[in-house]
Amino acid sequence: MGEVWKNPLTPWRGDAEPAEAASDPWRDPGEVWRAKRASSVPMHKVGRLRYFWKAQGHGERTWNRLRYWPTRRRVLDIRGEYNPKILRREKTILDRRPIYWALSFLAILLAPLIVPGDLQSTLISAGTVFLIYAAINLCWTLIIGTAGIFSLATMAVVGAAAYGAAAMSVFYGWPWWTLPFVGAGIGLVFGVVIALPATRLDGFYYALLTLGLNELCRVYVVQSRTFGSATGGLYGADSFIPAGLSPFGELATGYYAAFALMLVALALFRFVHGKRLGRILRMAPEKREAFAQAVGINYRAARIQVFILSSAALGLIGGFYASYFRGASPSLFSFDAVLLGLAMLVIGGIGRSEGAVAGTFIVILIDKVFLSLGPIRLIVIGLIMLGVVLFLKNGLFGIKQQFRAWRNKKKSENRSSRAEKGGEMLPEEATETEDKDLIYARRFDKMQRDYLKTIVSERLIEEHQRNPLGQHSEPLERLLMYFRRQPQVDKYAITVIEPFKAYRIVALSGHRGVAPRLVEEKTYPTEAEAYHAVFLRRVQDLLEY
Amino acid sequence: MIGFLARRRPPEPESDGSILAIRGLSAGYGPMRVIHDLDLIVRAGERLGIVGLNGHGKSTLFLAIAGLTGWQRGSIRLNGREVGGSRSQGPGRYTHHVVRQGLALMPQGDEIFHGLTVEEHLDSGAFTPRSWRERAPRKERVLAIFPPLRKLMATPVGRLSGGERRMVSLGRGLMADASLFLVDEPSLGLAPKIGKGVMDALMGLELGNSAMVIAEQNVALLEGRVDRILGMHVGQLKGEASTSLASQTKREL
Amino acid sequence: MDIGFVIVSAVTLACVYGTLAIGLSITWSSLGLVNMAYGVTFAAAGYGAWLVAEQLQAIDALADMTLVVGPVVILAGILTGAVCGLIVCAIAFIPIHDKPNFTVRGLIASLALSLIGTQFLLQVFGPRAKNLPPLFGDWELPLGNVVVTADKGGAMVTSVVMLALALRWMRSSRRGLEIRAMMMNPHAASLVGIGVRRTGFYVMALTGGLAGLASVLLSQTYFISPFSGLTPLIKGLSVALLGGLGSVGGAIAAAILLGINEALTSALLGGQYVLITQFLLIILVLLVRPRGIAGILDKAREA
Repeated sequence: MGEVWKNPLTPWRGDAEPAEAASDPWRDPGEVWRAKRASSVPMHKVGRLRYFWKAQGHGERTWNRLRYWPTRRRVLDIRGEYNPKILRREKTILDRRPIYWALSFLAILLAPLIVPGDLQSTLISAGTVFLIYAAINLCWTLIIGTAGIFSLATMAVVGAAAYGAAAMSVFYGWPWWTLPFVGAGIGLVFGVVIALPATRLDGFYYALLTLGLNELCRVYVVQSRTFGSATGGLYGADSFIPAGLSPFGELATGYYAAFALMLVALALFRFVHGKRLGRILRMAPEKREAFAQAVGINYRAARIQVFILSSAALGLIGGFYASYFRGASPSLFSFDAVLLGLAMLVIGGIGRSEGAVAGTFIVILIDKVFLSLGPIRLIVIGLIMLGVVLFLKNGLFGIKQQFRAWRNKKKSENRSSRAEKGGEMLPEEATETEDKDLIYARRFDKMQRDYLKTIVSERLIEEHQRNPLGQHSEPLERLLMYFRRQPQVDKYAITVIEPFKAYRIVALSGHRGVAPRLVEEKTYPTEAEAYHAVFLRRVQDLLEY
Repeated sequence: MIGFLARRRPPEPESDGSILAIRGLSAGYGPMRVIHDLDLIVRAGERLGIVGLNGHGKSTLFLAIAGLTGWQRGSIRLNGREVGGSRSQGPGRYTHHVVRQGLALMPQGDEIFHGLTVEEHLDSGAFTPRSWRERAPRKERVLAIFPPLRKLMATPVGRLSGGERRMVSLGRGLMADASLFLVDEPSLGLAPKIGKGVMDALMGLELGNSAMVIAEQNVALLEGRVDRILGMHVGQLKGEASTSLASQTKREL
Repeated sequence: MDIGFVIVSAVTLACVYGTLAIGLSITWSSLGLVNMAYGVTFAAAGYGAWLVAEQLQAIDALADMTLVVGPVVILAGILTGAVCGLIVCAIAFIPIHDKPNFTVRGLIASLALSLIGTQFLLQVFGPRAKNLPPLFGDWELPLGNVVVTADKGGAMVTSVVMLALALRWMRSSRRGLEIRAMMMNPHAASLVGIGVRRTGFYVMALTGGLAGLASVLLSQTYFISPFSGLTPLIKGLSVALLGGLGSVGGAIAAAILLGINEALTSALLGGQYVLITQFLLIILVLLVRPRGIAGILDKAREA
């Protein structure tokens, strides 16, 4: 607390100045410096955070010669470069997804062969259902993700096509190979009909409307006698599985046919999402439609095209469904079917093919394989879906992106607290400054100001008021020295209006020939008061700046 | 944590007379940092102008005080209570607590409720429990400042013209029982004459124990009419705005 | 088919579905949440009322005092609905309301809740349908050649009265102003000191209570089962859609319109065509007015 400062000049000057003044204890200027330099921010090792596995040797050229027929797309995106540290060439696989796809295709192909005998019928038929639903969800993710139309009528399209195809086969005896085409035709018509309101309605109106359409189909089918309201579905359609096969043969035929169906759906996804239509649609993320239209993109037409294409594909899948299950049942239209489908999409991540397939796999695994869990299955699926929605931005396959966004944000926050330690200049500014001394000068200045802020006190101001000129206590002297050392631009000064009677505060312009500007209207009767007013202004600027 | 403290005492300035004390504030959105290590003290009864060009962080400073930026670091003390450190990502998780501490933010553009009538709109400004009780005299005060609103009391705000909307939006801010008024570009997008009128209304307001911070691009509208003018440059405040700053912003005139 | 009977039941249904639609509408426009868990709220409220009714009927003294049982059961339904609303709010609104892409995520979260809730109800109460005792006594009111039975008249009067009360509260109280301000502009609402989360709880409790009311009233004519929420949800959604999401007046107009449509269709064409004509009507209106009937009613200019 209070210390007394003794004026060393008293013996020489006598009573001209007070002999002593109450003062604060001395504070070490290094304190601020050390406190500022101590970093509380977790620091990371310098270097890149995105690691790639590097393989040795040449090979970029060889790999790049391989293309997918009929596109000019490379099989693997491989970058080759010379590493000067080990004096050798290295290659990096920049996009490993094709490898994962190939591995999963292989797994799907081989799966029926390694299934244990007693679980064969459960697992292989679950696998078939998985493949069919994966195909459906690939088309659905095209509609929701790529086209951005939040349609919940997907299962309605599939169901309508399945019912139509089954009816053709049951009532008119059409063979199985016509059914997918019948379904595609029905899907196309259905798609055109429900695309009509999509041109006018906003996302959520449309979602609710399509949900209603789904319910409408269900009620109609359940009540209609033609579509088997009494028998719980329309059965008896022609199947592509030839009669007289062994049980395993029947299961495997269905399974591989469904696999082919999923490959067709994947090809469609690639064709739509990766080519012109998808590019157009991804150019205009949500709410930027007006902008996309202003640069000449017919956004609406592109969306509708995608929608109708996917609807036709969904119809085709519906026809396939009818010929696989030999008919159709109203459960296709049930609310739970929509919910489960949406759960598949959401868990994997909307708008990506791998998301649709992986999500379908997870949900079907729980729903069709763990049958022993009973009705808790659906609760488990609901909980997974809820967790994914609450914590993830875009499903499981969006985790990477979400993590990166989060890390960038944290980086920026942490950088801001390091900048506080580093001083005046922003990192962006510092890299562009030629004279690096300037950075250190500013940093020193900042530290000094931070220190001076800590020593400003009531007592100090009082002391200055008592005696603006002359010898002062140590902290006050430090403060005044700092003020005196400041550059001329905008430096406060006092101007004499009338000697010994009126003084005013001005700010120097710092330029030759430019008059100082007046800072305030107030006039001060004595020189000492004017000096003190300047001091107060400077202290205030120090504390705020 | 802020909400707890908020309900007990009515807001009052700190012992040293400062209403707002910002220390070492950095704020931004996602990977972008807009405000860099900023210090600011606003005292009771003070009218402060902040001048700076587009994109230099004036609005972000205000949003940071209201807790509306993506993230922020540093300390913001409003009426002696810490309101910084809140990291909202959307429509204010903590903003209403800050508002209850005595903040009235009149944002850039018109954040209005276009279906409510002018009267309901003014009522909505006095949402803090204390000002709600005495909203009738407050409404009279606002109507005295903006007389054209008196005739429009029953009109939905969505039907008003730009200038009238600005009056409603400012009036809503003035209804609050606030000790700190933050006004973001009050003359933006208005015809010069109307803009001047709005500015006159703000200048004529009796501040009493509260303080007002006005952000503007046009230094001429503020010069000589506020107690202090600070310049804002790439996210930092630069002392008292001087002639150099005036020449910088001159092209807006 | 008796035309008078059809009209009375259509009007009753319109009242009940209007209540649901207004709840959905308010939720959507103030919280930005399409509450798909509304159907489950509805079903759960029915079960809550049923539990209370069971308890009351076990007490002999109260067994035939409709004046006591009725209001208590209705109140139980409303309370259960409100509690369900609060749960939905706590799970599907609070954690994600300020996250990016909230509208889609909120919709999906409420769908997930609906999936979980339905299965939960199925586990607890089993698939068998339950029904409530008559709440409005046993009287009939002949109006010309139309006879209004107790359950229908009671449902109509109760829903209209409760709706009027809720709307009056919205229009005149401070909380109502809070909710309406948030409906218009959530960003500005937080700037004037309205807590988004707390208002969320008020809104969800209110709309949950409305769902509970509708549930009790509807279970006078239909049964309570775990899946019974779906049809009312769809009907409520279609009324809300036709009226324009977020507009109370529009929802009332739409409920009347759809009620008339339902009565006319079932009288002239037959019951199974009701949904078809209803959707044709909705699509027709929406094609002309993408924002529903409210698009016509709305006086204010879009900002």
